[in-house]
Amino acid sequence: MTRNAQSDDLHRAVRRFATGDRSRSFSELALEIAAFQRQFSAGFARLCKSRGNSLTRVDDIPGVPCDAFRLARVALHPESEDRLRFFTSGTTSGARGMHAMRVTETYHELALQFGRSALLSNERPHHVVALAPLLDEPPTSSLGHMMAMFMVDFEQRGPFDVRTHERWLIDDRGVDLTALERAAERATKRGETLLVLATSFALVGLLDALGERTLPLPAGAVVMQTGGFKGKTREIEPSELRAALARAFCIDHARIVGEYGMTELTSQMYEASVPGSALARERRGQSGVYAEPPWLRVVPVDPSTLEPVPHGEVGIARIVDLGNVDSALAIQTQDRVQRVEGGIVLLGRATGAPPRGCSLAIEEFMASVAR
Amino acid sequence: MSDLTYEARRARLEPLFESARSLLDPSSERGRHARERLVASSGLSPAGVDFALQRCLEIAPSEPEISALIRSTPTAQVAHVLLSANVFVAAHRAIAIGLAASAEVRVRASRREPEMAELLLAGAPGAFRLVRELSPSAGDRLWAYGSDETMADVATTLPSGVALHAHGSGFGVAILDGMPDESDLGTLLGGLAEDVALFDQRGCLSPRVLLVNAEPAAVSALARALARELEQLARRVPRGQLTTQELSEQAKYRDTAIFMGEVFEAGPGFVSLGEQGRWLLPPTGRNMHVVATPDPLAMLAPYRPLLTSCAFAGEPAQRQALSRALPGARVCRFGEMQRPPFDGPVDLRET
Repeated sequence: MTRNAQSDDLHRAVRRFATGDRSRSFSELALEIAAFQRQFSAGFARLCKSRGNSLTRVDDIPGVPCDAFRLARVALHPESEDRLRFFTSGTTSGARGMHAMRVTETYHELALQFGRSALLSNERPHHVVALAPLLDEPPTSSLGHMMAMFMVDFEQRGPFDVRTHERWLIDDRGVDLTALERAAERATKRGETLLVLATSFALVGLLDALGERTLPLPAGAVVMQTGGFKGKTREIEPSELRAALARAFCIDHARIVGEYGMTELTSQMYEASVPGSALARERRGQSGVYAEPPWLRVVPVDPSTLEPVPHGEVGIARIVDLGNVDSALAIQTQDRVQRVEGGIVLLGRATGAPPRGCSLAIEEFMASVAR
Repeated sequence: MSDLTYEARRARLEPLFESARSLLDPSSERGRHARERLVASSGLSPAGVDFALQRCLEIAPSEPEISALIRSTPTAQVAHVLLSANVFVAAHRAIAIGLAASAEVRVRASRREPEMAELLLAGAPGAFRLVRELSPSAGDRLWAYGSDETMADVATTLPSGVALHAHGSGFGVAILDGMPDESDLGTLLGGLAEDVALFDQRGCLSPRVLLVNAEPAAVSALARALARELEQLARRVPRGQLTTQELSEQAKYRDTAIFMGEVFEAGPGFVSLGEQGRWLLPPTGRNMHVVATPDPLAMLAPYRPLLTSCAFAGEPAQRQALSRALPGARVCRFGEMQRPPFDGPVDLRET
């Protein structure tokens, strides 16, 4: 069977798994995808070889470091077959990575399925806006693309042009508070549930712009908060930010839901906090605890040995995402995590070793080169 | 005799040199004591500390070097010196520059590693003052060594009128312009392995990348040979302890490098082989990235501001071109990256 035929089969199997088909377990699918990637990715094959070539358990699957996405093409297929290319925004270390997708259906289905489960809290029509810059064409930000998908899917009124300034409420001047107020008024008038999709730094910008004022959102509104600050704004502790947002929007804390996603991944995790959402009913999650979808598993590993840590101990996240059929099934991040009941607690990024003496730290190097 | 005459400045250096010399003998009480303290604070192995002292502590700088150091050092009412950690021998040169600048020298050692400054002072009582905090005033000069972050902090807190000589983070590269014959290659790689191993690569002169102008197959063999040299050297001079963060950086680097290409185990570290044009800066701890390139100078261009040292082997004309292209880096031979002439700060980049 050709590479693409194998890939297509695996994509279909993953999509079936996501809709509840358990004829193949998570582990079976993961190991099949790993074997497929070992066959067609020389880099992944070398990683497997360095671990003794054993691929018998999910824990055996080596994670591809996120840095690899910045330094090399992480895809099994040639560039000519890319249907989507998402670029990282550049963390504090500067250089941008790229995640190329050959099959977009899997990305769309997985993102929508878990997004609906985490963010939709009632049967009423929704109105979706993003505290993000106008989506570029073609989309290069996976987050922006996902936000656009949510706008179309969650409003359930068929395809429409999402590229309008009424939807994307950040421009060169910052957050457009007036447009957000208009969106809130519209949702109230029409009896719609307002969903605000936002990055953490956009929300801090909004709080700064509001000052002591409030911007009440209609009852039932949900705010999805994602991402770090990436040096773009002042940083606020997550609990403090949530409290400030709840105050500013006059909504319950539980309606501010955290999302965890990465350009290098196909799937996302969410806090299972939104009252009435399917995810909250299933997991009854606490604030700060991120639920994995059934097709994604976080394995906290020791930062030095990259071996899984005992249950409940802090490690850095190796993320096994069945959606990453054509790139890297397992991603090794530097995000510190801890497994608790109901999911994963995010503890912030493990920074690179601080420079001892005057040797150049790798993050300094990447940032300097990117400038 | 004025404090500012050449002779006065030269005279102030001698007690410091004598103090440094007295640290060298491991069988002396002072030499043994120094090794114990430096092993405890630096994280290097006992053999690593001894290796660094024997190879890098400038105990007998030549008069032309000393003259160059004095003449290139501006005088000051008071010279303040802020030291960094880990490359402990650097304290010697930094304090020497302070003494060349002023009769009043105040030194703040790294909190993590104050030993070398204390050892030098113990052998040259009164030559300078060790202080907990530096408080320079207008007309003084401050020589500061450390990370870019530290330099930025220092620059923002300095009173006006204080001249700052900031020496921040950097790294070294090595260039092999063509493949030498086998015996020369062994010598070159042996020298480079020592450059890497000294201070477990934590210094700003430490090489992290080797650029080779040769066919990829030959470069792959060379990378393997370098790994062998590093492995052999590690048996004689074991690497010290790495922190958890450093080990984590190394694990990330190793897997990234494996994904990108060939990686050879090199004792406690790794040698990675990059595709043409692909830079990967390995973390400290005896790791090297080797890249085949037909034009090493062009490959260096984006990294010029970061480069402090460049070992070169090849045609003299290319070496001259390299020196012109990298005015801020010390161009030297393989095996001499950690022993620059004692003629001023090791870091020649504009501050």
